[in-house]
Amino acid sequence: MEIFLQACVNGLLIGGFYSLMGMGQNIIFGVMKIINFCHGEMLMIGMYLTFVFNSYFGLDPYLSIPLVVVIMFALGALIQHTLITPSLGTKSFTNLLFLTVGLGMLFQNLALVIFSPNYRTITTSYSSKTLSFGPVTMSLPKMISFIGLIIVTVALFWFLKYTPTGKKIRAVSQNPIGAEVVGINTKRIYIITYGLGCALAGIAGALLTLFYMVYPMVGASFSFKALIVVVVGGFGSIQGAFFAGIFLGLLETLSSLIVGPTYRDLTVFVTFIVILVVRQVIKLRRR
Amino acid sequence: MKVSKLTPYKIRKRIAIALLLVLLIALPLMLSNKPYIMNVFILIFYTSTMSMAWNLLGGMTGQNSLGHAAYMGLGAYVAALFVTKAGMNPWLSMLLSMLIVGGLAGVIFYPCFLLKGPYFTLVSIAFGETIRQFVINWDFAGKATGISLPFGAESFAEFRFMGKAPYYYIGLAMIIGVYLVMRKISRSKFGFALRTIREDEDVASAIGIKPMRYKVYALIVSSMIAAMVGSFYAYYNRYIDPDLMLQSYSVEFVLPAIVGGAAFVEGPLVGGAILITLSEFLRNEFGAILPGINLILYAVVLLVVIRFRPVGLLGWFSTSKLKNFLETKVLKKSEADEEI
Repeated sequence: MEIFLQACVNGLLIGGFYSLMGMGQNIIFGVMKIINFCHGEMLMIGMYLTFVFNSYFGLDPYLSIPLVVVIMFALGALIQHTLITPSLGTKSFTNLLFLTVGLGMLFQNLALVIFSPNYRTITTSYSSKTLSFGPVTMSLPKMISFIGLIIVTVALFWFLKYTPTGKKIRAVSQNPIGAEVVGINTKRIYIITYGLGCALAGIAGALLTLFYMVYPMVGASFSFKALIVVVVGGFGSIQGAFFAGIFLGLLETLSSLIVGPTYRDLTVFVTFIVILVVRQVIKLRRR
Repeated sequence: MKVSKLTPYKIRKRIAIALLLVLLIALPLMLSNKPYIMNVFILIFYTSTMSMAWNLLGGMTGQNSLGHAAYMGLGAYVAALFVTKAGMNPWLSMLLSMLIVGGLAGVIFYPCFLLKGPYFTLVSIAFGETIRQFVINWDFAGKATGISLPFGAESFAEFRFMGKAPYYYIGLAMIIGVYLVMRKISRSKFGFALRTIREDEDVASAIGIKPMRYKVYALIVSSMIAAMVGSFYAYYNRYIDPDLMLQSYSVEFVLPAIVGGAAFVEGPLVGGAILITLSEFLRNEFGAILPGINLILYAVVLLVVIRFRPVGLLGWFSTSKLKNFLETKVLKKSEADEEI
């Protein structure tokens, strides 16, 4: 029972990261109808930025979050402006798909060239402290990151719901032509959206750095998990992504507890395929 | 039936192709003491063949699969298992592997064709990863350590050679054979049906083309070719492991088609020749100091082509002045040829 509770808590935590990644991915998909295959690499860049700030400038990982956000937003805006917006005009789904795949490859291998494939970690004065709640123990960094995840998620919901920019983003994702007709600069919204998506991945990376190893390929698994979250939660639905992320995290930790760690990914992928196909079959039956 | 007349232009074009072929066939004689360059050629052959296999499903039918490395890996595994566990003839194993992988892909993947666009791409990744995870957990196939094929005396029947030249010729035969099949498909009713599905599925079903059926046919042909390449890879390397099915390899198989021009049958050939030559050159020159430099180049070439030449290099070439120059000045194409 204790192991089960502990697994649930860990699942919630990792699920929170999947949610955050998935929500970033989902905003991008909602607005531009493209799958961002380099989302995991954005997380990787966020992690490396945090690592560099910590080991070369002595900045605390949590205090470096604002800097990471600014850099990631700028990077995302630059990519959107120079590469994605011009390619959106060709209306070719294949090209847009492989554009982001190419970006992912570029970032991954740049990280490999700059930082070498070594695994790196950050240690701070508080990284080995633990807190216990009844039978469940949790390290302090994990606790702080969890609170950070909740704050970011709430802030994101608030931003999309109440601020003018958030409303514009929702308008463009519902109907891009209509949005343009009422005077919204869609190109600017594209840039803001992609920057926001990258910044969210960067935050996830910064929050993850303290208890996860940093290496160039770290993004690959998160990238695909974020996509699973988006698909299961429904394209364009932010709430759906949130719950799907939590569900995925729980499924992962509980399946590695019940069927064994080597079968963890197998369980996740099979569940994913089954959910996708069954949902499509139901959709076709209803028609 | 229309009989096309052999004009001087067409004859010259055929002579040019024949010269290229003779050059490719004669190459191992010149490079017999340079195994590294031979290896690059073999790499070009099987990567381009994989890319053509992807192109049938991705470029021609518009179903962007990102799990093709899994079919190739599965093909390699089935063939290697037949050879090592059942002691079967490698050529027969290759054939069986093609049939088994083609059949399996058709049956298991059938429901996934209900999904369209981005959903299909995602399910193809998940499918590939599932196969990889399955093989990693499969005791009989050696789990994550993989399978080593037995070494031994050189023999054609056992698909085992000392030098690189025999593999080179088999690879060359493979790429030419697959190219001819692809060209045939592309010009047949089947090819037109696939392209109709790519452009508009509703139109296709309205004029009597069943999208599901044709997509599955395309997948079966595509995965059979992938299994053939996989078997070739297993016999050539004499060692396989589940990393062969990593999704990053699927991407590497797609890039030649995208860079060369996915709408063309020749696209993967052009893209493969250019990309792999460049990438192997870089890996050879800088690989020791800067690992990953060749993949950076891959990515940059891909981004530049998509950004500035979205139709691929061949798409750009077919409307460029260079082609016009080659045809009118070098091959002396005349106005009269156009009309025939």
